[in-house]
Parts: sequence; C-alpha cells; structure tokens
Amino acid sequence: MERQRKIMVAILALLAVIAVIAVVDIGLKIEKKSKSEIKMSLPEFGPGVGIVRVEGAIEISGPSGAFGLPQGAEAVIARLSELEKDSNIKAIVLRINSPGGTVAATQEIYEKLWKLRKKNIILVASMGDVAASGGYYIASACNYIVANYGTITGSIGVIVYSPNLKRLFDKFGIEMNVIKSGKYKDILATHRDMTTEERSLLQEMIDLSYNKFIKDIALGRNMNQEDIRPIADGRVMNGETALKNKLIDQLGTFEDAILKAKELAALDADAPVYDQNDSPFQELFGSIKNIFLGNIGLGSELFYNPHRIEYRYMQ
Amino acid sequence: MRLETIKSLRWADFFLYTITDPRELYRRIKQKDPDPFILSFIIPAVIVLFDILALSLMGKETGFFYYKMSYGWILVFIYAVFKIIVYSSLVDVTAQFFGCRGNIREILTIANFSIFPMVFFLPAFYLFTVINFAPGFFYVFFSILFFIWYVMIFVQGISEMHSIDFGKSFVIFIIPALFIGIVLFLITILLIITGIGFLTA
Repeated sequence: MERQRKIMVAILALLAVIAVIAVVDIGLKIEKKSKSEIKMSLPEFGPGVGIVRVEGAIEISGPSGAFGLPQGAEAVIARLSELEKDSNIKAIVLRINSPGGTVAATQEIYEKLWKLRKKNIILVASMGDVAASGGYYIASACNYIVANYGTITGSIGVIVYSPNLKRLFDKFGIEMNVIKSGKYKDILATHRDMTTEERSLLQEMIDLSYNKFIKDIALGRNMNQEDIRPIADGRVMNGETALKNKLIDQLGTFEDAILKAKELAALDADAPVYDQNDSPFQELFGSIKNIFLGNIGLGSELFYNPHRIEYRYMQ
Repeated sequence: MRLETIKSLRWADFFLYTITDPRELYRRIKQKDPDPFILSFIIPAVIVLFDILALSLMGKETGFFYYKMSYGWILVFIYAVFKIIVYSSLVDVTAQFFGCRGNIREILTIANFSIFPMVFFLPAFYLFTVINFAPGFFYVFFSILFFIWYVMIFVQGISEMHSIDFGKSFVIFIIPALFIGIVLFLITILLIITGIGFLTA
C-alpha cells in the first residue's frame, strides 16, 4: 500500500513538472514572438489625417442605427463634426463609394465640407468603385480629388422618375380614389398620365437643383460653370476621362489620397491616420439588425422608393 | 491537515482510488481519515490551471497569458467551484427525491474527486501539440474521453453512497443535467426573442 501511495505521489509530482514545462514553453514562445516583431503597436496620437467614409446611397435616414446612432448623411456629418473638434486633425480624406442620393442629404454633406474647407482643414476625396452624381457633388467640395482608373464618376445631373402604370390599371380595371387639396398634390402619381403643367413644374425644380449642382461644382473645383455644362449632361466616365475633363486632380488609390492629404497639410509621411472604427458591438448588432430587416446586399434596393428628386447615377 | 498526516501519505489514497476503484474512494471519504473535504477543492483549482494551459498551447499567446494564469485562474476557479456546488446540490436533491438520504458534503467531495482524471488531459494533449499532430482533434477527443471517465467515477460514487444500482445512480446524475439543459434552452430562446424584438423595434 505504501508503495502505491508513493507511486501516486510521484505521478502527481510528474504532473506538476509537466505543468511547469508547459508554462515555460508558452513563455518562451511569447518572448520569441515579441522579439521577432520589430514594430510595436502603440496607440496613435498627434497631428494626423482623419478618414470619413461615404458608402452607398446618400440619404437622411435619421437615428435608426444600432443603439440609436445616426445613419446615412447624418452619420457622415456627425463624423465630420467629430473630426472638426479634434485639434489633431489637420486633413480629412473623404473615401467615397456612392452613386449619389437625395438632393437635400447631398447638399448637407457638401455644406459641412465647405465649412471645414473654409476653416483651412485640408480635404482630399478618394473615389472607390463609384462616386457619381451626388457622390461627385460632395467630392467637389474637397481641395483635391483622387480617383482610380476604373472609378465610375460624373453623371452630373438631377433625376426624378415614376412609373406610369395607367395602362396596367386600365387592364385590370383598377381605379384610384384621390381626394386632394390642390391639383399638384398627387404629382408623380403612377395611376395616370402626367399633365404638361406637372411636367413643367417638376422640370423647373430639376433645373434649379441642376444649376445649384453646377454652381457648387464650379465653386469647389475653381472652374467656370460654362466649362462644366458641356460634360454635365448625365454622362458617366471613368477616372481617366474625368481627369481629362478636370473633374478630378489625380489618378491614384486610397493610399495615394492619404499621402496627398499629408503633403497638403504639411504633415510627415508617417503621421497617424485616424480611421472611423465602430465598436465590435455596434458592428455585430448592426449586422444582426440588417439581417432581420432584410437589408442584405441588394435587399435595400428592392424597396427603393423612386419618388424622390436625386443627384443619383442610375445603375 | 497536520504535517504528520501529510507525511503519512494517506491523503494520496483518495487520488489513487479515484482512478483505480471509485467505490473504495467513497468508503474512504466516509471514513474521514483524513477528512478529504478541503483537500478535494485542490482538484478543481489544478484542473482549471491545466485547462488554461491546454487552451494556451493551442493558440498564439501574447503577454495576456500571464493575466490568464493569475487573475484568470482565480476567476475560473471560482466559477468552477460554483458549478460544482450547484450541480452537486441538484444531484443531492434528486437523490432525496428518489428516497435516498441527502448528504451535500459527501456529494461535493465525490464531485471534486470525480474530475481528478482530467489532470491527465494536459500531458496527453501536450504530446500531440509537441509533435503537432492534429492537436485540435485530440483536444476534443480527450475532452470527451475524460468527461466519460468523470461521469463513471461520479455515478459509481453516488451508487456506493446510496447503496443503489448503477442505472439508478446514473438517472440521479443525469436528471440535473437535463434540468439545467432545459432551463438554459428556454433562457436562450427568451434572450433571442428579446434580442430580435430590440433590434427590429
């Protein structure tokens, strides 16, 4: 019995030795790893460049995000305000990947950018896949625009549309009961033809928004309005053509845009870049929410309401 | 435990019989020579430490490892003891429901000693990490293997304690697990429903 007890104690001692070996082994691996890593990850601080991302359709959607945070144009403006208050931010790179959006939302972002530009904060736009129509509108508020060769841009113009389903309604014998306070109250109604007066009223509105678009681009790009009008017929173009038409300043990547921002703001090449980071919880809850609301991929486009006047490139 | 008792190595019998004869283990627990109640809590402490080490061997560790081994160990040990107390209490209640005499102190001691074979998890698993042969697979494999061993010891301990057959003692062991499983399942369903409601509101 005594022998068995001693064997048991020896086994326990052996287990303790194995545990010590495991601790030493892991400790050595950690030390080896920390030695092989030349760069230490220190928190970034000091004067630098802030990143603002404009993704998808530009619209005012209110504080409907996870945790009641702003979304859409309001989120972009909130981010710009955050950077405006930060004394470390000497330049902002606006990463745009958007086909445009509603007139009011686009103008709100443009005005905010213009305010920052007047405060001598360097603004550089970096165009991603698409920066057309309203996407280009907000880019034009920046001091400098960088686009890729394949970026789809341009599409300068204003659009409003609605389907005319009159013949379909007639075919199925559907009639709409409309009680309205004025003759234009159901303008853009889908169940009847548009009247000439309605068309001219909308055209006038479109023309005014278009003129504002041209005026703002000319102001931002320091060009004459007459130089822009010939190419402001809604045409889309790639980065290379946009450069020829002076709609952008340089062909390049997002990284080039950051370097340019540093150069224009007289910052060192290794100056910190402050990207916008959602907390993991925000990202998780945002993703889960989108899944439950059906906003996955093209889902939101399926429920897209066309009855809006937009600076938008119709893909 | 006095120094004389430690020197006599009688305490080693508990560990020895846990592996060789769980029924004899219970008889030794009952004899209280020496009283194994406090000693038994060393086992979850060691198991938790070995678990942390085994998991750390699987991944790429950083300096955070030392926090895991200190503060983490204390926290996980408290959690492990909490789990053992809750589960032992439920087993004791179930045994009384089946007409057996309740004794939470003895059940707790059996529960603590039952997990003792899990100390062999680290050396067994370590071998496969050193030779880098399917460590992930063997982590799961040994976890299942040692869990079955734990169940066998615990059930035999209950069987010996209440002088009932293995089948009945297995039922006494499994009912709390089913009860906890059902409760956790219902809590999860409620949390999912509440979460969806919150997110889609």
